[in-house]
Amino acid sequence: MSAIVALKNVVKEYPLGATTVRALKRVDLEIDRGEFTVIAGPSGSGKSTLLNLIGCIDVATSGEVLVGGQNTSSLNDNQLTQLRLRKLGFIFQSFNLIAVLDVFQNIEFPLLLQGGLTAGERQTRVMDVVEKVGLKTQLRQRPSELSGGQRQRVAIARALVTRPEIVLADEPTANLDSATGGSIITLMRDLNRADKTTFIFSTHDHRVMEQADRVVTILDGVVNAQGLSAAADDSAPTGGSVHA
Amino acid sequence: MNMFYMLAGIAWRNVVAHRVKSAIVGTLLFFGTFLVVTGKSLVDSIEHAMAESITSSLAGDLQIYDKNAKDPLQLFSFGGGGEDIGEIPDFPKLRDALAAVPEVRAVVPMGSVNTVVFGSTELDQALTKLRIATRASPADAPNQESQGLLEQVQAIAAQLAEDQKVVLPIAADKVKAQQDLDALVHVNTDAFHQEFASNTESTLDWLDRTIAPLASDGKLMYLRVLGTEMGSFTQDFSRFHIVDGENIPEGKRGFLISKYAYERFVKNKVARELDDMKQKRDEDGLRFESDKALSDQAGRCSRQYARILFMLSPTDARAVLPLLQKELGSEEKDLGALIKDFLLVNDDNFEARYAFFYKEIATRIRLYDVAVGDTLTLRAYTRTGYMRSVNVKIWGTFEFTGLESSQLAGVYNLSDLVTFRQLYGKMSDSQLAELDDIRKSASIKEVTRANAEDELFGAAAEPLVGESAEAKTFDEFAGVDMTAASRSAAELDERVYSKADMENGVVLNAAVVLKDGASATDAKAHIAAAAETAGVPVTVLDWQTASGIVGQLLLVIKGVLVIAILVIFLVALFIINNSMMMATMERTAEIGTMRAIGAQRGQVLALFLIETLLLAVVASGLGAGFSMGLLAWLGEVGIKAPSSQAMFLFGGPRLFPAWSWLNVAFGMGSVSLISLASTFYPALMAARVQPVVAMNPKE
Repeated sequence: MSAIVALKNVVKEYPLGATTVRALKRVDLEIDRGEFTVIAGPSGSGKSTLLNLIGCIDVATSGEVLVGGQNTSSLNDNQLTQLRLRKLGFIFQSFNLIAVLDVFQNIEFPLLLQGGLTAGERQTRVMDVVEKVGLKTQLRQRPSELSGGQRQRVAIARALVTRPEIVLADEPTANLDSATGGSIITLMRDLNRADKTTFIFSTHDHRVMEQADRVVTILDGVVNAQGLSAAADDSAPTGGSVHA
Repeated sequence: MNMFYMLAGIAWRNVVAHRVKSAIVGTLLFFGTFLVVTGKSLVDSIEHAMAESITSSLAGDLQIYDKNAKDPLQLFSFGGGGEDIGEIPDFPKLRDALAAVPEVRAVVPMGSVNTVVFGSTELDQALTKLRIATRASPADAPNQESQGLLEQVQAIAAQLAEDQKVVLPIAADKVKAQQDLDALVHVNTDAFHQEFASNTESTLDWLDRTIAPLASDGKLMYLRVLGTEMGSFTQDFSRFHIVDGENIPEGKRGFLISKYAYERFVKNKVARELDDMKQKRDEDGLRFESDKALSDQAGRCSRQYARILFMLSPTDARAVLPLLQKELGSEEKDLGALIKDFLLVNDDNFEARYAFFYKEIATRIRLYDVAVGDTLTLRAYTRTGYMRSVNVKIWGTFEFTGLESSQLAGVYNLSDLVTFRQLYGKMSDSQLAELDDIRKSASIKEVTRANAEDELFGAAAEPLVGESAEAKTFDEFAGVDMTAASRSAAELDERVYSKADMENGVVLNAAVVLKDGASATDAKAHIAAAAETAGVPVTVLDWQTASGIVGQLLLVIKGVLVIAILVIFLVALFIINNSMMMATMERTAEIGTMRAIGAQRGQVLALFLIETLLLAVVASGLGAGFSMGLLAWLGEVGIKAPSSQAMFLFGGPRLFPAWSWLNVAFGMGSVSLISLASTFYPALMAARVQPVVAMNPKE
């Protein structure tokens, strides 16, 4: 199985006043296509930073980040934006839906940014994901009219509608109650199995970890351990490796 | 395109979602556009109306005058008219040259001069009538008319004596004041009667010399006279029309007094006050009870009762007395007291008394100091510094249509060019011949400035330091045939002048009327070139510049409008910029999300600009629509000119503004551009938001 994400000797530093904070310390990581991977760790450990680098919304101070075989360090802002648009899908902790657009329009938005599809094609694509996330009856509702779980389903649909190679989810259950969170994780796991889309999470939710093919733990910017979860025993692809 | 629709959709939803911000900015843009469209349309309408009133009344499309003139030409100026605009050296030649300019339809020669007319007092008029009446009948057997007129003179003297008694205690020269009082009292004595019966002529002389000067000073009227060729003027200035009398017949000398001046300066003062009060009541809706200035005016009018009393002949006075007693329901026997009471008008009696005045009193007095058909003596200082008097017949009164109540339009009175030239300082043939005779009889030798030193001090004298041999002097006799035979003044008045006679002489300036649709800019250049080629160089002014202060008034109005627009634009710039900066900060997470899921910087920039543009188009569209509605309504009902000066700006008593698509496009376009400009920086800031901010969880 080929690695869809590869980090080689990645360092990320942030300036903080007169000092510099090193958020990631020489990280090497490979994630295979179709994996359902969890990046776990306590707050401030560097898991979000790692996810941002993989999601091309931040750049490494040094080292290489390869996404879909493309070295992101050499890309400019426009190229990184195109990469995010074509290959990545995002699910945010706070859902981050566009408040003034309804459910359909929120999901359609990335397709419009991509361009090249007719209105009919876009509708088919939107309806396809809407059906998967179970929001057919809420298409014309605004985010403010939806529950937290419904909003996250819209976010998942928006992330999947462009048929990305990788979906990145930053603490997707953090703002949800346990029942809703559980159903969202199940939904994503099902989608992963059905479409073979690579899912990468940052979380410290144990239920998410239980569903993961692999859990990568990170502490103080250093990747400490990796392993296969129970859920991966029978179905998950293998082959990911972590080098501390 | 889909992308644009999506961004426009998001932008519009943002406009609706952020209602308060949109309402504030939208209101500002609404008023901005309303101001721009309404203001610009009003200024355009005023400019159009002014152009119409100025070009078709006096100025023509262009004005020309001597290129080497000392002062600039100003047709309309408040209290001006002393400018030295030189003279057009050879007007016939210039007119011929301009006839070949394709844009020119007509060239109307002009020249203006300030004159003074001395009006007579009521006593003067009564004395004149008395002198005529007594000559018609023997002194020892006076007719009823002269007896009545003598009583009128005595009544005036008695009133003046009462006034003199009030003046006496505070007079500086008490001896003279007492002598005057004694003289006035003497008029009503038996001794005076005997003197008048026995020696009428010398008594009349005494009255003229001693009593007449004690009456209030005669009225001084200042009349600005525009000499022109009346045929061309009548034909080329469409707003000109005769009100009373007739136009000056072609080739004749004469004077047309403006109806405005006639009604305000020549009419009996009491009648004028009553007219003015009626106008204030009818047109301005003022009432004596609520308006102190109007009730004060009624008081002032009442105190002027003598101006009626002195003008009534004894016969008329006897006729008016019972009528007034009946009208006022009074037993009062003193006519003066009755008139005084009658003129103390209020809201209840004004209309009835106004009608009574014109029915019973105005018909018995001389309502105007001079009447159409009279000969008027105009006095002016000539260019040589001498006071010159010219007697000229008043043929009629005139107005410019729509500018009937305009003080500025009414300031000019019209005369033929020969009369103007006499007032200006050009001598008539007879006067020149007379002067020539005097020269010959007095052995006067003409000494030119160039050889003055030689003639006066001997040929060897050195020229004085600083004296220029080329120093210019005014030559009164330039272009005049010195050998013409002398003619009497009466002959000159009756003489019919040819067009050439009228044209061959001094012309100060000329109005150029252009053909319909001709470009004023092209015409200016062509006229200047043609005049230069003809050897008669002139300065060519458009009507705005030629109209002097009035044209500048338009510039002031435009300036105020521009400042108001700039201020509102500046405020809009500041407020829109601020609100969009706040919106950018509030929506950082949303912008970050859009960037994270694949929106380019340019798309974020476009989103913000489209948002403002949509708001601007809607708000400015509403503002422009509201303005168009208002202008369309005002175009129907008109805006009343608040003053006589405004009437000139409005081209008549009301301004009927019109809107144009050009002004609507200008208003909406400028407001939209300002909105975009003020949004650009916040939009740029929004485009710089990093996608990583989407990852920061909300508090």
